[in-house]
Amino acid sequence: MNYSLSKTDMKKEEDKGVLVTAWRRLFPLLAEEGRVVTIALIAILVSSVATLVVPILIARIVDVYLITKDFHGVLVYSAWLFGIFMVGLTASYLQIRTMGGVGRRLLFNLRNKIFTKLQELPVGFFNQNKAGDLISRINNDTDKLNQFFAQALMQFISNVVLIAGTAVFLLAINFELGAIALVPAVLALVATQLLSPWVKRTSLKSLQTLGGMSAEIQESINNFKVIVAFNRLDYFRDKFKESNEANYVASVAAGVASNIFNPIYVLASALAQLAVLALGIYLIAQGHFLIGLLIGYFLYVNNFYTPLRQLASVWPSWQLALAGLDRISEVLALESDLQVMPADTGEAVTVSMAPNAVLEFKEVAFHYQENKDVLRNINFTLERGKTYALVGPTGGGKTTTASLMARLYDPTAGAIYLEGKDIRFYDPAERSKKIGFILQEPFLFTGTVRENILYGNEEHQGYTDQQLMEVLEKAHLTKLLSRFSEGLDTVVASSGDAISLGQKQLIAFIRAALRSPDILILDEATANIDTVTEQLLDEILNELPKSTTKVIIAHRLNTIENADTIFFVNGGEVTHAGSMQQAVDMLLHGKRSS
Amino acid sequence: MKDPVSQAKAPGLFGLLKKYSLLIGLLIVLTIVANALSLSVPSIISNGIDTYTNGHFLIGRLIVEFSIIAVLIFVFTYLQNIVQVYASERVARDMRNDISAKISVQPYAYIESVTPAKILTNLTSDVDAVKTFVSTAVASLISSVFLLVGTAILLLVANWRLGLVVLAVVPVIGIMFFLILKQVRKLFVKSQEAIDWLNKVISESILGAALIRLLNSRDTESKKFLDANTEAKRISLEILRLFASLIPVITFMTNLATLAIVVLGGRYVITGTMSLGNFTAFNSYLAILIFPIMIIGFMSNVIAQAQASYGRILRVLDAPVEKKTGGLKAVLRGDIEVKNVTVNFGQKDALKNVSLSVAAGSRTAIIGPTAAGKTQLLYLLTGLLAPTSGEIDFDGKDINEYDKSSIHSQVGFVFQDSVMFNLTLRENIAFSNTVKDSSIEKAIETAELRDFVDTLPQKLDTIVSERGTSLSGGQKQRIMLARALALDPKVLLLDDFTARVDANTEKKILANVARNYPGLTLISVTQKISSVEHYDKIVLLMEGEVLAEGTHDELMHSSPEYVQIYQSQRSINQYEMDPHA
Repeated sequence: MNYSLSKTDMKKEEDKGVLVTAWRRLFPLLAEEGRVVTIALIAILVSSVATLVVPILIARIVDVYLITKDFHGVLVYSAWLFGIFMVGLTASYLQIRTMGGVGRRLLFNLRNKIFTKLQELPVGFFNQNKAGDLISRINNDTDKLNQFFAQALMQFISNVVLIAGTAVFLLAINFELGAIALVPAVLALVATQLLSPWVKRTSLKSLQTLGGMSAEIQESINNFKVIVAFNRLDYFRDKFKESNEANYVASVAAGVASNIFNPIYVLASALAQLAVLALGIYLIAQGHFLIGLLIGYFLYVNNFYTPLRQLASVWPSWQLALAGLDRISEVLALESDLQVMPADTGEAVTVSMAPNAVLEFKEVAFHYQENKDVLRNINFTLERGKTYALVGPTGGGKTTTASLMARLYDPTAGAIYLEGKDIRFYDPAERSKKIGFILQEPFLFTGTVRENILYGNEEHQGYTDQQLMEVLEKAHLTKLLSRFSEGLDTVVASSGDAISLGQKQLIAFIRAALRSPDILILDEATANIDTVTEQLLDEILNELPKSTTKVIIAHRLNTIENADTIFFVNGGEVTHAGSMQQAVDMLLHGKRSS
Repeated sequence: MKDPVSQAKAPGLFGLLKKYSLLIGLLIVLTIVANALSLSVPSIISNGIDTYTNGHFLIGRLIVEFSIIAVLIFVFTYLQNIVQVYASERVARDMRNDISAKISVQPYAYIESVTPAKILTNLTSDVDAVKTFVSTAVASLISSVFLLVGTAILLLVANWRLGLVVLAVVPVIGIMFFLILKQVRKLFVKSQEAIDWLNKVISESILGAALIRLLNSRDTESKKFLDANTEAKRISLEILRLFASLIPVITFMTNLATLAIVVLGGRYVITGTMSLGNFTAFNSYLAILIFPIMIIGFMSNVIAQAQASYGRILRVLDAPVEKKTGGLKAVLRGDIEVKNVTVNFGQKDALKNVSLSVAAGSRTAIIGPTAAGKTQLLYLLTGLLAPTSGEIDFDGKDINEYDKSSIHSQVGFVFQDSVMFNLTLRENIAFSNTVKDSSIEKAIETAELRDFVDTLPQKLDTIVSERGTSLSGGQKQRIMLARALALDPKVLLLDDFTARVDANTEKKILANVARNYPGLTLISVTQKISSVEHYDKIVLLMEGEVLAEGTHDELMHSSPEYVQIYQSQRSINQYEMDPHA
C-alpha cells in the first residue's frame, strides 16, 4: 500500500541521457498513431528535401547559366524552383497539420489516461500525497506536456530531420568541406555537454528559490487576516523581501548559465562559415570545386546551424517537459490495491450471519504504516435498524474504523462482511448504494446546491425542481434547505469562505440522507452546526426507514446519547462501552491526546 | 481623464523601463553591436568571393578578420544576454517588492475584495509576463528593427531595383502575420479558459476523492473531464489550423523572393550590372530579413500579454490606500460600544442595525445559529471589517480614531479556523514584535500547552507547518489561543473556540484565563450555552440581528428562541458540565 510519489524530480532519469528517456517515453505513444505518423514523416521528408535541393539548383544556375550568360536556362531552372516551392508549401502545410494533430491527440489521450488513473486509485493514494502538491503536480505537468505536444514535438522532429538531411547533403556534395563545416557543431555539442551540469545546477537552485518564494506568498496571502490582526505586516514584508532577493540572485545566476548556449551556437555557425569559405576557395583554386556550389554550400551551412541553434535554445524547456512526462508516468504506473474481487476465487466469500446482522468485522486489523497498528483484531457486528456511536479520543481510530466499513481501505488482516458477503467482492455501485458516509470534511463541487445534493445520485438526477422538492419534503429535508438564501439554486464553490462550514455540512447531510442507504455513517458530521439545527437533523435521522443502521462519530455527547450501543475506540481496540455513563467515564479518565 | 489610474497606465510598459534607463541603454547598445556584427558576416563572405574572382584574394587576412568578428559576436551576444537577464530579473524583483509593500499597507477588506488568488497571480504570473517582456521582447524588438532596417539598406545599396522587389514581401508577410495572430490571440484566451476548466475538474476530483469513491461517481467525474478535455483539444486544433496556414505561406512568400533574386538577379549578373558576390549576399540577406518579421509578430503577443499583466499590477500599485486612521495610541480599558452597525456583502445584509455594549472586564457570549453573522461581528471589533454604516467605539472613542496597530496589539483574536505558519512554534505563538518571553510562557500555561510542548523534540523551536505535521485540531486551536494571549491583550475575542476542544480542557483553560489575565474583557462566540451560562451577558444573534440580550436567567424568561436552544443542549449540560456526575 505504498502510493507515495518520488520527490527526486528529474534526477536519476537524466543520467541515462535525455534523448534515450525521451525516445522511451514517446515511442509507444507515437506508435498508437501509426498511419498518421507515417504520413507526417513522409511530409517532413518531402518538405525537408524540397528545402534542401534549392541551394543545389541555385548553385547549378550560377555555375552553368550565369557563367555562360544563358538567361533561358535561368528561366527553365526558375520554373523548376517554383514547382519545388509549391511542393514544399503543400508538404509543410501537411506536416504541420498532421504532426500538430498527432501531438494534440496524444495530449488528449494522455490527459484522459491520467484522469482515469486518478479515478481508479483509492483514497489511500490521496492521503499519502498531499492534495495541494498533487493538484499542482498534475496540473503543472499536464500544462508542460501541453506546451511540449502542441509545439515542441513537431519542431523537434522536423528540426532533427532537417539537420540530419543537411548534414548528409553537406558530406555528399564534398566530404572534406562537409567535414570541416560540421566540426564546429561537434565542438559546440561537446561544450554543451561540459556546461550542462552548471546550467542544471543553477536552474535547479532557481527553481527551488522560486518554489520557496511562491510558498511564502501563498502562506501570507491566504492567512492575511491573522497577519493583520496580529500586526505582523512588517515581519512578512521583510520575510518576503528576503525570499524575493534569494530568488533574484538565483535567477540571475541561472540566466547567466543557460544563456551561454545561444552565443556558443552563433559562434559555431560563424566558424563553420569561415572554415567553408577558406577551404572552399582553396578547393576552387585547386579546381576541385565550383564557385556556384560554394554559394549554395553557405545556404546548407545556414540550414544546418539555424535549426541546431533553435534546438539548443528550447532544449531546457523540453527537459522540463520530459521530466513532467516522467512524473506523469509515475502516476500512471501505480496500481490500485482495492480491486473488486472476482466471484470465483477460492477465498471464503460469504459467512452466515445472524438474521438481524448487517455488517460484521471479523478479526480485522489495520495499519497505514508498517508496524504502526491502528486497529488490532477487531470483532463486532452491527444490526439492522440500530444506532451505534463511536467515541474515543482524537487519533484513536474512529474515522479509520468507519472508513473500513465503507471500504475506503481494505483491512490488513481479517475481513469485513456486508450482509454476509465479503465487502471486497461487492461491485462499487452496489456497495455505495448500501453505505452512506458523511465525511468529517464536507466537500462541495463548484455549482449549485441542487447539483451538490444530487451529486452521484442516479435515481433523482432527472427530477424537476418540483419533483425534487416533493422528495425532499417527504424526507423532511426542506427545512434544512431554507438555510440557503436561494434554496436549490444557491451557488456554492468548492473553495473559499462564501458559505460557512456549517452550511457545507448541511449539504453533505442532505446529499447522504436523500440516497437512503442501508447503513449511514456520520463522521463528526455536525461539529459546526448549531444545536437547534442539529436537533432538526436528529429528527430527520429518526424519520429514516426503520431498517437503516446508523453509525455516529461525534465529539458532543448529546449526539450519541440516543445510541443503542456505544463503542469506545482507542489504542487499537474497539470495546463495548455499555452505558452512556460508562462511555463518559472512559472519555474523561482515559488518556487524552486531543 | 480625471482618473489617476488611467493616466498612470498611459506610459504603459515602456514607461516602466524609464527607471532602468541605464541598463536598458546598455542593452540597446549591446544588441545593436551584436547584430551589426552578425550582419557583417554575409558581406565578408561576398567580399571574399568577389576578391577571389577578381584575383586579389588574401586568405590570411580573411581568416584573421573573420575570426575576430566571430569572437566579437560571441562576446557581445553573451554580454547582451547577460544584461537582458539581469535587467529583467531586477525589474521583476523590484515589482514584487513594490506590490508586497503596497499590499502590506492595505486593510484586510481590500485583500478579501481583490481575493488572495488574484494577488497571488499578480505576484507570480503577472510579474513573470512583464519579466518575459523585458528579457525577450525588448532586445528582440530592438534587434529585429535594426536587422530589418539594416538589411533593407544593404539590399538597396547593393542593387536598389532588386532590393525593392525583395522588400515587397515584407509588408505582405507583416499583414498576414498581423491578421492571423489577432485571431490566434483570441483563441489563446479561450484555450486558457479551457485549461482553467480542466484544472478545476482535476482539483475537485482530488479534493473530493473520498466522496467520489463513496458515491461511486467516477463516471460523472470522467464525463466532466472528457467535456473539458474535448473542448481544450478543439481549441488547440483550431489554433493549429491557423498556424498550419501561416508558416508555410510565409516560407512560400520568402521562396518567391528567392525566385525573384534568381531570375532578376541572374539577369543582372548576366548583363553585368551585378557582381556574383552580391548575388550570394542577396540570398543570405533574404534569410536574415524574414526572421525579424516573424519575431516582431510573436513579440506582439508577448507585449500584449505583458501589457495586460502590467495593467493588473498597476491596479494594485495605484489602488488608493485606506484613509489613514487616527494616531491615537492609548491603553484600552475595554469598554466596547457597537452602535447601529450594518454590514452588507452585495445585496445581502450580514449584520442589520446591530447595537451592543460591553463593559470593561466583563464576559460576553454571542450565540446564534449557523450564518447568523457572529464571525462578522468579531471581525468588526478587530477592524478587519469596516461597517457599511454605524460606528464602533472603544472606551468611548471611534475605532477609526485609534492607531490601527494600537488596537491590534491590545485585542487578541482566536480565529475559528486554525492558521499555522511554516515557522517554529515559538514564532507561531509570539506572533508580534513586542512579545516578551514571560508573556509566551504565561500564554502556554494558560492554553494548557505545556505538556504538549514538552513532548516535542525541539520544544518551542520545533517547526510546525500548516500541512502535514501531526497537530490535532484541538492542539492547533490551543496554539491559536496562546498566540492571542501572548499579546497580553486587554480584549480577547474567541470564535467558536469550544468546537474542537473537549469540555474538560475547555473548562480548565477558561479558568486559567480568568486567573492569569484579570480584568480582561472577553467576547466569545460559541454554540454551547453551558460554558457561558454564568457570563455577564449573552447576546442572541440570528440572521444578522440581535434578537435578545441579557444574562442567562433573563433570557430564559424573555426569549423563546433562547429557551429552544437551551433545551436542545440540555443533554450536554448533564454530561459535560459536571464530569463527575
